[in-house]
Amino acid sequence: MPVLRLPKFGSPVKYAYITGRVRAMKTKLVPAEMYARMMNMDMSEIARYLEETQYKDEIDALSKDYSGVDLIEHATFANMAKTFRKLEEVSIDEPSFLILEYLRRWDVWNIKTLLRGKFYGATDTEIEKHLVPAGELSSERLSELAKKDSITDIISAFDGTDYSSALAQYDGKNLASLENALDKLYYFRMELAVGGTLSVGGGLLLKYVRREVDIRNLITLFRMNKAGVDAAVILENLIPGGKLHGELSRMAGQPFGEFLRGLEGYPFWSSISDIASVDLDAVSRIEARLRAYLIRYAWALSNYHPLSILPVLGYMVSKETEVSNIRKIVRGKEAGLPAELIEEQVVVA
Amino acid sequence: MVVVADAGTLYGLLAVGAGLATGLAGIGAGMGEQGIGAAVVGVVAEEPGFLGKGLFLMLLPETLIIFGLAVSLILMFAWTPFSGIVTP
Repeated sequence: MPVLRLPKFGSPVKYAYITGRVRAMKTKLVPAEMYARMMNMDMSEIARYLEETQYKDEIDALSKDYSGVDLIEHATFANMAKTFRKLEEVSIDEPSFLILEYLRRWDVWNIKTLLRGKFYGATDTEIEKHLVPAGELSSERLSELAKKDSITDIISAFDGTDYSSALAQYDGKNLASLENALDKLYYFRMELAVGGTLSVGGGLLLKYVRREVDIRNLITLFRMNKAGVDAAVILENLIPGGKLHGELSRMAGQPFGEFLRGLEGYPFWSSISDIASVDLDAVSRIEARLRAYLIRYAWALSNYHPLSILPVLGYMVSKETEVSNIRKIVRGKEAGLPAELIEEQVVVA
Repeated sequence: MVVVADAGTLYGLLAVGAGLATGLAGIGAGMGEQGIGAAVVGVVAEEPGFLGKGLFLMLLPETLIIFGLAVSLILMFAWTPFSGIVTP
């Protein structure tokens, strides 16, 4: 697999501009207490509130095509894509390389959206609406891909790229194994591109990504152990590369109570200890807590290394979470879910 | 009394010392400022209102040059080694 490696050692001064900039951008994020207030607003009030924030341009631009929930959802995604592109454009050398490496997750997201859309026979315009051009693939390239006739056409368009090996797993019947392979590829690629370097920035990014893999695997374990899925099936779904991979794979297939007792003592335990019990009703509550733990972890790491990729990473994670929180609130309200249920899903670090 | 050096050489060495004091202080301040300057420009790009505070932070390392400059001035004008020199 062709992978670009970091060219040279990173000097902290390279990060001064971009970290200064993201710290200023962080102040413009929606404050945590606003989520609770949004629960009590109706859709037009939320749109009006967002118009007073960084989302103004997107809400204005998209308001002629969409309204209500769709407007908010598309505006927040468009704003996130614009913000991430901006971060990439205003950084050079190592920060730019590492930001792009992180943002490839949105390429994976877009490829999944394209394939799912084609799989279920959605039209080009419907698919295009749900693409988030925040990664390496530009919006032009993505709309070109959305216009392809079938899944195999899309897969063959990626021939010769890093994604071809994962996309080759498509068997024509279901997308689950292909999507799993794409996720694994993303983390594998990140490890290969960033892990081999001696640069401080690359090492720190990798430290965060390893923790993220662990958390994702942990969520998978929570879901599957709760449902009593067979250990072999769970192991197939775990993403390799996490720091605790060995320990977590041993927990696959354990009875739920035993699994919970095994988690005590891990650094993430304190953030879930009060709700993790054998009679846990919804894993999504655990998921929200663990996501919040990851954001706190990214910002905590960035305090130790203020001039590194970590503040940028912390910002990107916070921004993604903000967009998904707003989306959860508006979609939840539209579906008429009770406020407590939505509140449990909202991630507040 | 013994002649230490001729006045011209001594004055020349003093001038070199004075130059180094200001010059090295300037280089040091510059190295300190490169990061601050870049960060301030980054913040100001997002928050134009931060310019005043940012400039203040940028000027902090500049104060070090003043120490260097003061040493240079003392060397050149306030301290007169020539008083001890007896020319033959």
